[in-house]
Amino acid sequence: MRDVDYLRPETVAEASALLAELGEGGRLIAGGTALLLALRQRMVAPTHLVSLARVGGLRGITYDPRDGLRIGALTTHSALARSAVVRAHYPVLADMAGRLADPQVRNQGTLGGNLCYADPTTDPPTCLAALDARLVLGSARGDRSLPVTEFLVDYFTTALHPDEILTGIRLPPPRFDLGHHARFHRTAAEHRPLINLTLLARRDGDTVAEARLVVGATTVVPTRVAAAEAFLAGRAVTAAVAREAADIVADAVEPLSDLRGTAAFRRDMLRVMARRSIERLMPPGMEGREVA
Amino acid sequence: MSRIPIEVIVNGVAQRAEVPARRLLADFLRDDLFLTGTKRGCETGVCGACSVLLDGEVVKSCLSLAVQADGHEVTTVEGLAAGEDLHPLQEAFAEHGGFQCGYCTPGMLMAAIAILHETPSPTEAEVRAGLSGNLCRCTGYVGIVESIMAAAEKMRGT
Repeated sequence: MRDVDYLRPETVAEASALLAELGEGGRLIAGGTALLLALRQRMVAPTHLVSLARVGGLRGITYDPRDGLRIGALTTHSALARSAVVRAHYPVLADMAGRLADPQVRNQGTLGGNLCYADPTTDPPTCLAALDARLVLGSARGDRSLPVTEFLVDYFTTALHPDEILTGIRLPPPRFDLGHHARFHRTAAEHRPLINLTLLARRDGDTVAEARLVVGATTVVPTRVAAAEAFLAGRAVTAAVAREAADIVADAVEPLSDLRGTAAFRRDMLRVMARRSIERLMPPGMEGREVA
Repeated sequence: MSRIPIEVIVNGVAQRAEVPARRLLADFLRDDLFLTGTKRGCETGVCGACSVLLDGEVVKSCLSLAVQADGHEVTTVEGLAAGEDLHPLQEAFAEHGGFQCGYCTPGMLMAAIAILHETPSPTEAEVRAGLSGNLCRCTGYVGIVESIMAAAEKMRGT
């Protein structure tokens, strides 16, 4: 790692002013788990690290039935997984955070850092896109907010302006009563998902009243599959319905193709994941039920 | 480049130092404080040999800067035993063959402490999930898991 200076501003405005002044030479550091690897591989070589550790107001999780959930950007994945309000109102988010990477990275890494790094091969963006998350971006010029799907632009690229800081994540009150975040890893020892999928549903008796289905990790940014959502709406889940919906998902997504997995392999695995997720969420009637 | 003054409580002892910003926590512990129990393994956040506790939570010290520990409390493997008396977890590793070459052991012990702190009566699956950030290339994990299950029983009894 190249030598670097370390600055510790105490407010968002101060940090923003430093970023504006330093330009390309400045990098924010939150938990540091991703940044330290990038620094040591010299993928980035800033002259200054701007630490968020002393900036107030970037931690904590609060819930209000009308306004929904507010998560400070410096919330670690393990704090998110343990949060009583997250577990009660957004169990799919707590479950995703509790299985992310490994225990050490969950204790060090922050949700804000994960989003700003914009690595496609990670779980939170997919789950947050399904939950209609908005991100609050602060700077010395004031705040603005963006849906997570507009914040994530491309490989390791976000809509952040050079002087902006992600300060918080906001979720509307939950409108789905079922949810599951599924991940496919090539090997059990690997922590970077090859594919992930968040499925949310609101149930009306035996049928799906409304579904939300987002695929990630195998696309550059999370991809919502509206055709599968529309197909599931108003239907009772049977083995045939789950199969047909899974085909829609597999056909709708244009998977990445690289050394970790070809597009054809990823598409096949996505089809299996989608079918299992749908069956898991609303187990079909016993006849013809395939047990995963 | 400037050196940053830091104050870190390491194994209960306040340590003051001035470190370059790029000093990793793992290097600070090993090269500045000579606490060489903490191992550098992959140095890419995969193997977990460098695991230590930061304010009681297990972290990888190769993925942390020493300056990030400023004002916090670090526990390394040297902080487990009380003088010559091994921690019950260390005893269990010795009794149940929880190591072969021993290189991963300090990290395994720190991850195991974190597991048992959060879940005093873990299932085997919980132990394995808790070790998912630590690699052992010798044992196949059977002895390690047995050691932690045995330590859990011992620690609940005392």
